[in-house]
Amino acid sequence: MTVLNELSNAMAAAVENVGASLVRVEGRKRMSATGVVWNSDGVIVTASHVVTRDEELHIGLPNGETVAATLVGRDPTTDVAVLRTAAKNLSVPHWAGGDGLKVGHLVLALGRPGQNVLATLGVVSSIAEEWHTPAGGKIDYYLQTDVTMYPGFSGGPLVGVGGEIYGINSSTLLRGVSVTIPTTTIAPIVDTLLKHGKLRRGYLGVGSQPVRLPAALEQQLGQETGLLLVAVEPNSPAEKGGLMLGDVIVALDGHPVRVPDELLAGLTGDKVGKDAKVKLVRGGQIHEVNITVGERQ
Amino acid sequence: MGIAAAEFEAVGEVEIGGSDRLRQLNDDISDAIDRAYHALVQITNGERSIGAGTIWHSEGLILTNAHVVHDEQPNVTLNDGRKFPARVLYYNAELDLAALSIEASGLPTIEPGDSKHLKPGQWVMALGHPWGVRNAVSGGIVIGMGAEMPDIPFSSREWVVVSLHMRPGHSGGPLIDTAGRLIGINTMISGPDVGVAVPVHVVKKFLKDSMA
Repeated sequence: MTVLNELSNAMAAAVENVGASLVRVEGRKRMSATGVVWNSDGVIVTASHVVTRDEELHIGLPNGETVAATLVGRDPTTDVAVLRTAAKNLSVPHWAGGDGLKVGHLVLALGRPGQNVLATLGVVSSIAEEWHTPAGGKIDYYLQTDVTMYPGFSGGPLVGVGGEIYGINSSTLLRGVSVTIPTTTIAPIVDTLLKHGKLRRGYLGVGSQPVRLPAALEQQLGQETGLLLVAVEPNSPAEKGGLMLGDVIVALDGHPVRVPDELLAGLTGDKVGKDAKVKLVRGGQIHEVNITVGERQ
Repeated sequence: MGIAAAEFEAVGEVEIGGSDRLRQLNDDISDAIDRAYHALVQITNGERSIGAGTIWHSEGLILTNAHVVHDEQPNVTLNDGRKFPARVLYYNAELDLAALSIEASGLPTIEPGDSKHLKPGQWVMALGHPWGVRNAVSGGIVIGMGAEMPDIPFSSREWVVVSLHMRPGHSGGPLIDTAGRLIGINTMISGPDVGVAVPVHVVKKFLKDSMA
């Protein structure tokens, strides 16, 4: 067999194998999209933006059957939605972390917007550090490919030539490029949604705006701005922890806080109920206080 | 200069590296193209290139799209440079297929492949003359087959949809598999990276029905 034939057969086999774990997601008015089986309990992962309604959701199974599904929950900030169907014996694919994936590797984008599995081919264009989506979601690592996002491919997997799934593709997280939400980002979101039905977010109870730090502090802290507290809610975690109007927050748990987004991004769900170290400037002096993070309702 | 020459020699000793299997992959790709290439023709009207065609029968039967020869006085240029006036033998606008006849014999043909059992993900190549550039190849994979493909017009018909660059001038040319066999006739574009071809089993039926 020629090497070309071997490559061609391997790609077709990867499509066929992973295709057994792909479902059609009927959750919006226009064209259906794609979902991927997460576990054998009928949990399906897809893109949040393709599930525009919360009810009357349907899943098209690889065997042609259409079954009802319920929305477990969604995280619009990372464009992940989790559905559940009563269907059993779904084929669970090999969800992989990004170890070993390199720029230039061949990858396939798969979809099942209709009855059949469809595939496009591309290469990994860029792998980079952790990033935040425009909506504020934290993504473990940046993964961009040049795969063609065929209509209905959102929510479908990015597949390596060995049939491993590196994440799910979204055509809307960033405009004009195909980015993949990595498996390592999806896993904790799915766990949290299955447990709580929503993503927990930490909460301090402050209103803030960025301000320029005095030159001496700027040099000492290595950052140009901090967050001036312009509101502290009564009985909030911030007030209980002793934060006051006029304080300038400069760091949360060791991470610099320069703009409001950095404070929001730092208040992840796992911090709820735990003490966070807040570094702040008060009266020209640097202080550090412990605040028990509340949960955003 | 002496130092530069020494450095150059040192670099010359370094293995360029790479993979024998990747080189073999490239050779396999050229082999497949070589097997199909001579069956690709150019269709012109006067000096104007209007599309591509595929030699179906050695006695002068050429396949192309109906839209390529619609209202045209087609000439066929073979890959050896010979040019023939062509007569439109069969024409089916609905299937977008046409069969032309030229006064030639002993023409090189292409082996028909199996378009009924294509698999999404398998490697394919489109031959043609995109924007008039002669004998160009683009490669990619099968996205899907059959009717009811999303985003494809005339979706009640059977198509092979491929993930590769197809451009005006590819129309009528062969879509080939890894062995250089004909699996479809390049027909249209449904996006910058999505090409659409008529599967060869539909072509066979078109010819059979036309001759009946």
